[in-house]
Amino acid sequence: MTQTRIPVQFILNGKKTAVDILPEQSALQVIRDELGMKGTKEGCGIGECGACTIEVNGQAVNACLMFGVQLDGCRVMTVEGLAEDGRLHPVQEKFLAGHAVQCGFCTPGLLMSTHALLGENPEPDDHQIVQAISGNICRCTGYQQIFSSVRAACGQSDQGSVRENQDSKEERC
Amino acid sequence: MTTMTCIRPENLDEAVDFLHHHGPDTHILAGGTDLMVDLRSGKHHRPYLLDTSRIDSLKTVQISDDLSRLSIGSGVTLTRINTLPLIKDHAPALHKCSFTFASRQIRNMATIGGNVAHASPCGDTIPPLVIHEAEAVVANKDGNRNIPLLEMNKGAYQSALHPEDLVVKFILQARQPGFSDFQKIGRRKALATSRMSMAVMADKDSQGCISFIRFSLGACTPTPQRMHDVESLFTGKIPSVKLINQGAGLLAEKMVEITGRRPSITYKEPAVQGLFKRMIYPMVTWCRQ
Amino acid sequence: MSNDRYHTVGKSILRRGAKERLTGNPIFCADMEPENALYLKAVRSRHPHAGILGIDVSSAMSVPGVVQVFTAKDIPGKNLMGIINKDQPLLAEDKVRSLADPVALVAARTPGAADLAAAAVSVDYDPLPAVFDPEEAMAQDAPQIHAKGNVMVQKKVCRGDVTAAFDKAHTIIEKTYRTSAIEHTYLEPDAGIGFPDEDGTLVIYASTQNPHYDHKEVVSLLGVEDHAVRIIQAATGGGFGSKLDMNVQGFIGLALYHLKQPVRYVYTREEAFLATAKRHPFVIHMKTGADETGRITAMQMKAVCNTGAYGSYGIAVASRAAVHATGPYAIDNVNLECTAVYTNHPFCGAMRGFGTPQMALAHESQMDLHARALNMDPLEIRVLNGVKKGTVTATGQVLTDSVGFQDCLTAVQPEYEKAMKGWLSEPTPAYIRRGVGIGGMWYGIGNTGVQNPSTARVAMDREGQVTLFTGCADIGQGSTTVLSQIAGEALGLDAMDIHVVVADTKYTTNAGATSASRQTYISGNAVKQAADKLADVLLTEAVNYLKIRKSDLRLENGRVFDSRHPEKQVAFSRLAPRILDKGGELSWQGYFDPETVPLHPDTGEGIPYSTYAFACHAACVEVDVLTGETSVCRVIAAHDVGKAIHPENVIGQICGGVAMGVGFALMEEFVPGETISMNDYHIPTAADMPCVIPIIVEASEPSGPFGAKGVGEPALIPTAPAIINAVTHALGKRIYALPASLERVLDASIASGHFNNCYQES
Repeated sequence: MTQTRIPVQFILNGKKTAVDILPEQSALQVIRDELGMKGTKEGCGIGECGACTIEVNGQAVNACLMFGVQLDGCRVMTVEGLAEDGRLHPVQEKFLAGHAVQCGFCTPGLLMSTHALLGENPEPDDHQIVQAISGNICRCTGYQQIFSSVRAACGQSDQGSVRENQDSKEERC
Repeated sequence: MTTMTCIRPENLDEAVDFLHHHGPDTHILAGGTDLMVDLRSGKHHRPYLLDTSRIDSLKTVQISDDLSRLSIGSGVTLTRINTLPLIKDHAPALHKCSFTFASRQIRNMATIGGNVAHASPCGDTIPPLVIHEAEAVVANKDGNRNIPLLEMNKGAYQSALHPEDLVVKFILQARQPGFSDFQKIGRRKALATSRMSMAVMADKDSQGCISFIRFSLGACTPTPQRMHDVESLFTGKIPSVKLINQGAGLLAEKMVEITGRRPSITYKEPAVQGLFKRMIYPMVTWCRQ
Repeated sequence: MSNDRYHTVGKSILRRGAKERLTGNPIFCADMEPENALYLKAVRSRHPHAGILGIDVSSAMSVPGVVQVFTAKDIPGKNLMGIINKDQPLLAEDKVRSLADPVALVAARTPGAADLAAAAVSVDYDPLPAVFDPEEAMAQDAPQIHAKGNVMVQKKVCRGDVTAAFDKAHTIIEKTYRTSAIEHTYLEPDAGIGFPDEDGTLVIYASTQNPHYDHKEVVSLLGVEDHAVRIIQAATGGGFGSKLDMNVQGFIGLALYHLKQPVRYVYTREEAFLATAKRHPFVIHMKTGADETGRITAMQMKAVCNTGAYGSYGIAVASRAAVHATGPYAIDNVNLECTAVYTNHPFCGAMRGFGTPQMALAHESQMDLHARALNMDPLEIRVLNGVKKGTVTATGQVLTDSVGFQDCLTAVQPEYEKAMKGWLSEPTPAYIRRGVGIGGMWYGIGNTGVQNPSTARVAMDREGQVTLFTGCADIGQGSTTVLSQIAGEALGLDAMDIHVVVADTKYTTNAGATSASRQTYISGNAVKQAADKLADVLLTEAVNYLKIRKSDLRLENGRVFDSRHPEKQVAFSRLAPRILDKGGELSWQGYFDPETVPLHPDTGEGIPYSTYAFACHAACVEVDVLTGETSVCRVIAAHDVGKAIHPENVIGQICGGVAMGVGFALMEEFVPGETISMNDYHIPTAADMPCVIPIIVEASEPSGPFGAKGVGEPALIPTAPAIINAVTHALGKRIYALPASLERVLDASIASGHFNNCYQES
């Protein structure tokens, strides 16, 4: 059976992109399977891990929970859009220097969450950083080197510094 | 192999018209964050996907001139609920629930309409909407009708909406209360489904007596509950530790009346009291200020 | 510790492979799409225990797009897998033993066709009674899961006279502890791809912790020669023990063997949850006796662990649990026994710590209970009992070197005391109670009392370029970087100047599993030996070239120079052709096998490990007495790693271990049949993490490469007991079963009176 494909157009990493997709395809499937860009990962398929985080109109979203059709007319950015001419983006630089990468499967999603955060709020406080990255599960690092790298990316502190005792009472509300 | 056709109406009339013809065969796509999960877990694929994201009228947030009614479009995302001053000022508990709702990524996509229409007992926006006595404005080919939020769900994951219905907006009794809060218990501090949630708002008179109070419980019962008995207990009184403990006991009693004694009640019965005490205790100081 | 005497060891250089991961390069198996690849899908059992009367694949074969459906009879070699005991078929033959058991394998042109066909395979089952509780499974009349009986193994360690010691004891504590099954939840679901090479070799890229074992197993399944199969480890998105088993590798091998066409198999998260190993749930009965000073004089421990349908690493888990039951404490009289039992649960295997984290909950709780009984400080009782140089362990081993446990206790002491004095007395809301807890641990590096060698090769080409060949799978912990540093140090090169060929069975030799925290110590030694041999050849030739005696020569920055007259030097690139032209050898193999002595089957006497890592964590927690919510605010984590080859990697392991410990302590529980996806199984997010203060302790290990031991598993082990002890401290009521969930903590709060006492009328 041939299925009806529908055309969608969006700006992907600064480039006009047109692709015919199946209506039930997720944005993740469109990016990985139709466009062959493998930087965005699938970790759970249900929005519980954040490995597929991309930026749509400047906001971090789970590509696995988004229908491909929802990309239509949007400005989309994936991890492939961060580095320019082989030069790492500052956020990538900080992750590299801050030893924030272990297995690396969560890394693209975390980079995109960080990039979106800095786009919205160039000077986030610790609480806002945690809010922005707590939709991205990492099983390797315990988040500490990631956290300090995000901090460094917004010019807040030296690499490797320890996060101050994050009080839970506020966050629990 | 399943086939799906996607419809992307530009306005409400088109959407309503389509649903009139194909409602039962249509998945309505708002934010998509629940729909995708349902489809993956094997829920029946319907032939049509109605994407409402282009309908701008679903995304408006307005307050009436007399500040009494706040209207929130069904397509408003949790992130906008988190950032719009109008909501922060006039529905503060709703604003607060948006901080701990799922994750940043999901808040950026998920809509208030989707959260309500999904009819999950754990929907975090529901208790705050209930305390504002919200009504959903629902459109179909026969026109609009208003459904009080408490009547939106017939049971867990059973919405009272018909397949031809589209939720347009919610009308809230706007209020800038002296005291308001939303609290929840999850198994972790982010990306957690509410094990229990509650919302409250209250005002006091010049004597420090509670002159107005609305309280709602979420996630503990199959459908959302406004707890009138708890409200009545507090009305006209100055909150004290004794009163709060009494209220906690009453709340637990009412909850058990609804749910019966399932195994999960072993936790819920004390926890609902604990959460209530934690949330309401600050009223003691507030009423004495 | 001064790192100055080292060129690269002890320095946190940029990680190998990090850039590829940061830029989203297609390096994981799921990212690889060989042309015309077929999609594989296993058909899994619908019964926890059932005979198979027949399998009908005809309707599955008629699904459009289906190429083949395989069953057990299509397996040309031996249909049994398992690294220690072979008891697990690739595809079930006569019966299924768990819901996860695969009975058939579909190969199809599209994922959709594979799914449809998998659903269309019809299996005629004869349901059998099932047993899920390991203690029930030990009963005489329990359903028999394997022909050899349900008790897979029983490991014992005995020393001294336990009965007499208990008779004399001042205090005796006897408790039962329970831990949950844990899902590893590495971020990358298992995946692999395969294709036939030009010469017919079956090439398999896999997400794996042990490519050389995979190779052996695929060869055995297919009944082919070694060279017919080549396993290459693709980028591996975490493993934590689960990717030590054959997950997709066997399926890919089988399909490749028959179809000679590219194939791929990427597990969904749901399939990874269902089909891969879990951490063994334990029931631990522990009894300890102490004298009036708090010295623990006797321990009796009986544990039962549920290995589920298959053994996997269960035997290693049982023996490690028995050996580690005492914790890092000197106890003269012990009677320790751990039994691993088959049940109809999905199988359990290796997970970070192999039974030691479970055991640590028990021994660390006992320690605190003794401290409380004698009104001692928890840290003090650990100092009193903690192992030191000269301590004789339960297996009769004398600890001679690198015994840094006391140093770890000393290292956490200042922060611990600060927390006990200052932090505890800070004002908090009435519903919050704070607590501070300690957890200690020891961990034997490498496999238990068995040979577990590693090999490596270091080679120089004619141009002087050095390449390290190692079979060691880097699954995110950074072994490739660390092994490059070790080779670089030996050769006076920057680690990044060394080319690496990693975990490719065509080019690398067996380095054993990336498990048991063994790669830095064991493979590190093998690499160092190979690099040292090459260095010696270079030095020898430099003697000829420079006419300077060897003892004055040094290697640095790709040259050999005279340490007294550094201007006298010769580049490697000049030495290499001279050596080759003389018929000399520039490719050297290293081999290292830690010195161990097998454990006596009845007494456990022997030398299980040649070295141990030690650690102590202190956890500061806040418990909400009204709701049971627990927040871990701070963890001070001191680890004796011998020598930190790469300090930031060590810190990364410590912080990651703490995160896993937070999950183990507070929220993780895999319930077979109920836990389906990451929606039902919660692991800590960034918001759940405490501030971790890592402290690296370096009690140099003489047999380790530059003094190094290991840290991978040790990082996790003390966290959960420290948290449980802290929760106990906060509430005055102990929790004996993990996880300390909302329900269990609230129960404890109610039992302790705190729930009711909060917000009482004054």
